[in-house]
Amino acid sequence: MSESAIRLSGVTKAFAGHVAVSELSLAIPRGSVFGLLGPNGAGKTTTLRMVMDILGADSGTIEILGRPADQAARDRIGYMPEERGLYPRMVVDEQLAFFATLKGLSRREALRRVGPWLERVGLGEWRKRKLYELSKGMQQKVQFVATVLPDPDVLILDEPLAGLDPVAADAMRETLLDLRRQGKTLVLSSHQMETVERLCDSIALIDRGRKLLDGPVREVKARHGKNTVVLAFDGDGAFLAGLPGVQKVSDFGRYVEIRLAEGSDPQAILKEAATRLRLSRFEIVEPSLHDIFVEEVTAHGEAAA
Amino acid sequence: MSRVLSVVRREYLERVRSKAFIVSTILGPTLLAGILIAPILLTRQRGRALHVAILDPSGLLGSEVTQSLARRRAAGRERFVIEPPPPGTADQTRAALQERVVQGTLDGYLYLPPDALERSAAEYYGKNVSNVMDLQLMDKAVEDALVSRRLAREGLDPERVRSLTRRVDLKTIRVTARGAREDRGGSFLLSLVLMMLLYTTMAMWGTAMMNGVIEEKSNRVVEVVVSSLPASRLFAGKLLGVGAAGLTQFLVWAACLAAISASGGAAWGAAGAVPELSPFLLVAFVLFFLLGYFLYGAMYASIGAAVNTTQEAQSLAFPVMMPLILSIVFYPMVLAAPDSTAAVVLSLVPFFAPLLMFLRMTAVSPPAWQVALSMFLMLGAIAVITWAAARIYRVGILMYGKRPTFPEILRWVGRA
Repeated sequence: MSESAIRLSGVTKAFAGHVAVSELSLAIPRGSVFGLLGPNGAGKTTTLRMVMDILGADSGTIEILGRPADQAARDRIGYMPEERGLYPRMVVDEQLAFFATLKGLSRREALRRVGPWLERVGLGEWRKRKLYELSKGMQQKVQFVATVLPDPDVLILDEPLAGLDPVAADAMRETLLDLRRQGKTLVLSSHQMETVERLCDSIALIDRGRKLLDGPVREVKARHGKNTVVLAFDGDGAFLAGLPGVQKVSDFGRYVEIRLAEGSDPQAILKEAATRLRLSRFEIVEPSLHDIFVEEVTAHGEAAA
Repeated sequence: MSRVLSVVRREYLERVRSKAFIVSTILGPTLLAGILIAPILLTRQRGRALHVAILDPSGLLGSEVTQSLARRRAAGRERFVIEPPPPGTADQTRAALQERVVQGTLDGYLYLPPDALERSAAEYYGKNVSNVMDLQLMDKAVEDALVSRRLAREGLDPERVRSLTRRVDLKTIRVTARGAREDRGGSFLLSLVLMMLLYTTMAMWGTAMMNGVIEEKSNRVVEVVVSSLPASRLFAGKLLGVGAAGLTQFLVWAACLAAISASGGAAWGAAGAVPELSPFLLVAFVLFFLLGYFLYGAMYASIGAAVNTTQEAQSLAFPVMMPLILSIVFYPMVLAAPDSTAAVVLSLVPFFAPLLMFLRMTAVSPPAWQVALSMFLMLGAIAVITWAAARIYRVGILMYGKRPTFPEILRWVGRA
């Protein structure tokens, strides 16, 4: 089971004049939830498109489920692109059957599976309606059903929570975790790191086509240490930035986040702050992926400079 | 392969089930029948007889003109009813007739002046003076009467002269390998109708293909599809599926045309007015449609892939439309001399062949090698064009934003 669901080795893709993905290597473990994270334009979508052979890589190799990526291997991946798309004038079940047959399923088998899936997402009565008659949220559900109907082993979902209201987003998280329990591999791509952070077992952070770091979420966070202190108080906290061992203070209004230098003791900060301020909260926290990302980008930027 | 068929199936069914398809498929033959049959019916139906008075103060021509007009028949009925002029002086009579024309109890009157013989002149006063056919009949009647009078004055027998100078009746009979058949100008009309039908269907289904590609692109559905099957196969499936829908409509139209032609317009009492469409020509008709569709459909599809909206497609589609439009520009020249070197060369060029080679086939029977060569060249062009179009398609369908220029699009062909 140590085998990777998807493995990229030194994959590079350049478009007229700019490099979208550069020497990217990733190993996505089977049966886990993997987050491909990075800001807009980092190269996430391009990477996923190369996995699906929508774009050809300039160099490097891509393996799927332990074999070189070919049509048969890609048939075991369900792909939901960031830009959702269905045929507006097509009837829902015809539409779902069409996409399933493109994955190699027979039309009959596809139509047999349509009913239970539509029931499951609460669209049972909409089976014979044309897509444009459905609300935007319902169309999103149809799109998701189209992705999972062929029962793929690997699901690649580009921005899976984008455009969903809070209730629908929770339902989607539930469904995703359910799929994970069934042993599926999920690849989630997002630029909003916090929204998928909680779902992911492991992640890769990419920026401007390059991988900044990757690994299991717990390891990534541990690597960046418990060196952040959250402090809420009454009074003037301007002196905090001047304390020994304090690297950076971020003011969030109701509280401040203090990043400590390696090896400095949070207790020392607490003691000093308690004597000069009226504290209402003191907490040692793990850095957020957002912070780790910013830190890495800065570090790489300095290295490059 | 079954996936390509899945695309073909979707394209075909979605199109054939649409209201637009059903309406245009039925409307086409109706219009076609109208174009071919309406003129026949129109010339046959000229309404009620004209009530005309003849005013002939000299009394030299009146009786003969009256007789001649009274003999005229249209659709089995008398064309003219000659009414006697009211009595009175010449001026009174004219005033009375004028009054009746204004009131509408008389359609008009023919005035033959006393010096008509010398001046070869007559006048017709009527409410409607644009009924050319009737005016020609009256013109002829007066002319015949004048000539008879003059001949008699010279001591010649008008009947004898008439039989000696009888006009020749030149019938045109088209000779083909399959026999001869009288033709009254319908052959020209048929050539024109068939060519325009090819032009319309090719442009229509080419555009349908283009709009289908644009729609998939703007719905963003294309990315989902090409994640499951290669863009080149989606392209092939679409081209075949749209083509199948086009062919369905085309076959319905061709069958209606064949039916109209086979009946020869007999049902409308105009036997022989619509020339026969041979089975050979019908098969060629369908084949040239298919070849033309694949050639133009592939080009239209690549334009669709390059743009974001149908508006943007307008200017880029023009170079694709150009050869079709030029074919229409060249057709009178080709039809006038179907075996001239220029016509032969033009009809072999793949972009013109669908219309011009077929046009030549309706007019003359071009040598078989020329027809075969034109088809062979078209197949070659289709191979090259679809190959290039599929590559443009693959790059284009994922390109959003600024509309590329024509040279940029051509550069995509070189990109893998």
